[in-house]
Amino acid sequence: MSKIDSSNRAGSRLPAGSCPGRRAFLGGALGTAAAFGATRRARGASRTEITFASAKFFGKETVAQVVEAYNASQGRVHVTYVELPPPSESTEVHQLLVQQLARQTGSPDVFTQDVIWIAEFAGAGWALPLDQELGADVRKQYFPGVVQACTWGGKLTALPWFIDSGMLYYRTDLLGGAAVPETWDELVSIAQSVEKSGRARFGFLWQGKQAEVLVCDLVEFIASNGGAILAPDGKTVLIDDEKSVQAVQFMRDTITRYKISPQDVLSWDEEPSRRPFTGGQAAFLRNWSYVYTIAQDPKASSVVGKVGVAPLPHFPGGRSAACLGGYQYGVNASTKNRDAAIDFVSWMSSPATQLHFATELGLAPTRPDVFDEPRLAESQPFMQKLKPVFLGATPRPVTPKYAQVTLVLQSSVSRALADGNVKQALAGAKDRISAIVAT
Amino acid sequence: MSRTVAVDGVQHAAQPSFALVGAGRIDFAPLLLLLPTAISLGSVSLYPILDGLWLSFHNTTLATRENRFVGWLNYRLLATDPDFWSAWRHTLEFTAISTLAETVIGLGMALLLVEWFAGRGFVRAAMLIPWAMPTVVTSKMFGWLFDGQNGLVNWVLRSLHLIGGNIDWYGSPNTALGTIIVADVWKTAPFMALLLMAGLQTIPGSLLEAARIDGAGAWQTFWRVRLPMLAPILLIAAMFRALDAFRIFDLVYVLTGGGPADSTEVLSTLTYKTLFSALEFGYGSALSTAMFATEALIALGFGIVIVRSMRRQGR
Repeated sequence: MSKIDSSNRAGSRLPAGSCPGRRAFLGGALGTAAAFGATRRARGASRTEITFASAKFFGKETVAQVVEAYNASQGRVHVTYVELPPPSESTEVHQLLVQQLARQTGSPDVFTQDVIWIAEFAGAGWALPLDQELGADVRKQYFPGVVQACTWGGKLTALPWFIDSGMLYYRTDLLGGAAVPETWDELVSIAQSVEKSGRARFGFLWQGKQAEVLVCDLVEFIASNGGAILAPDGKTVLIDDEKSVQAVQFMRDTITRYKISPQDVLSWDEEPSRRPFTGGQAAFLRNWSYVYTIAQDPKASSVVGKVGVAPLPHFPGGRSAACLGGYQYGVNASTKNRDAAIDFVSWMSSPATQLHFATELGLAPTRPDVFDEPRLAESQPFMQKLKPVFLGATPRPVTPKYAQVTLVLQSSVSRALADGNVKQALAGAKDRISAIVAT
Repeated sequence: MSRTVAVDGVQHAAQPSFALVGAGRIDFAPLLLLLPTAISLGSVSLYPILDGLWLSFHNTTLATRENRFVGWLNYRLLATDPDFWSAWRHTLEFTAISTLAETVIGLGMALLLVEWFAGRGFVRAAMLIPWAMPTVVTSKMFGWLFDGQNGLVNWVLRSLHLIGGNIDWYGSPNTALGTIIVADVWKTAPFMALLLMAGLQTIPGSLLEAARIDGAGAWQTFWRVRLPMLAPILLIAAMFRALDAFRIFDLVYVLTGGGPADSTEVLSTLTYKTLFSALEFGYGSALSTAMFATEALIALGFGIVIVRSMRRQGR
């Protein structure tokens, strides 16, 4: 890949360490346009070749175009982008990454990973710890929940890329002058009165299908009661604690006792729960950020202009929690081009690139500061409003055995919700999860 | 392979001999000719099976890089794993009910379609559409039909006053597996009908004619002539169907993901989750070996019954 082209010499003539492209990029809109436009500019002879594998994301631009912008912005490193399947096929993406990383050949040098794989990859020794390379203050620059998810064994083993999380959608026209609910009790009473008055068929929709999304909802209910599934030590299982039991009991009560959710939520994942809401049949919905765009699209929604978004409610004494999603960067521990890989991830995770990902690909920044950029407010006004939601982002249990833990959680919590023996189901889950994380 | 072997000076001509050791020396030619087949079959079917079996005696987990020989440990865990046994029961339940329903309905369809009527060719071709549809499409379709809120099935039942309120077909552990069975029967009964129709057509017309001359009615002809003649084919078709139903995956994966409360978790989905989500290759291989063993038992059971029914007919 070291084709020499006389017109490309410009890049290699630059002294190492200075990256004018990046500065221009930081400089503002004009510079950005130039950097992203000049894709073939700087391809020097002596550039370090690295590979970058990522799940497929796209908006107005693709990940490949951003990688090209990096290649054009400096003359020392050239990144080859390997596109993996989209995140909707995350089982396949996970398999592909595990297969490649397990070979320990150093390829791909840099990869992106779902937040729930970080501990697994770090625990296997496949991810390079990044704190020392990036400096001690690097953690403070990101949302605390994301940093927590990117940390394994006290070390930062992933660098944040973008964030998504659960949030509360509500119908502004159905609140009837009431304030947006901050506690679950408030939500129940508003939902009940909306149902009673016949203004909407359902009070509150969430996702109870025996699938990964059930664990996401579970994390939010439990954390908003001050509880947790797994203690920070990664070994102590708290799923049958009083706070967790209360939270799961509340999930069931929304169906059986308060009757603000139909029993159907037990077989619904994201889309089936989204449809009645954008169809104007529900007052509240718990879902991810993608729903907003659909809700504002007149072709797909009958509630355009009547939808608001807020942090999810909490239990008395707790605080709002939002299940953390999103993909983050990792550097392969067996990379042979450590410096180049770190330079690349630093650039990818920099404020300017995060802003670009936000405006061009619709991926929300993991740096709170980027939310204050005027350009974000201009092109993604909705995303900008999500800063308080993301501040409450809570990771799912951080353990290398997450893949096994989640299957137990899905099965036990689905059982608890279906038959109502919450204590028994969660005690069973505790025993099985303890056995998994102990080894 | 027909060779002439001289034993005690007697010529046993025209008697085929498959002995590879003839007249005291090994003949390599047949072996050599078998070699390509043996290699290709061995590499694509025997090797993966044996490797899977070998893997099931290890604790191989890709993510933790464990890879130790653990003997029978995975099987001991399996014996006490409630998830495995509940999935095993669901799978057998699904297999038994769906195979039985598909055979009975398929037989009914075959009996109708083997008679001549106007437009028979068209109906025969149209009948195969459900079977030819990709299962994922069928799954989505049945997902909508049995939707708990806006599904057609609920609407029809409500309109006929058979139910008071909507039934949450996929959200309740009592109805989820049954609903999946209905979807499977809809999809596969036509295939059974096709196989059985082919079987019915092999029954000589002279037998049916003789039965008619002897004064047998339609019912008697079915029980005394057609069904006994059809029995071997019926059993073979049911065996294929049962072995296929035992591997049910796509309907469950799309419609319920194994839920609610594991009520639709079958062996294929459990194995898939263990192998490809959790990447526990050792335990996952033990699961699939257990699946394989159960399938072998089902095939053996059918095999015995089929052989008996063939013997009865003197074939």
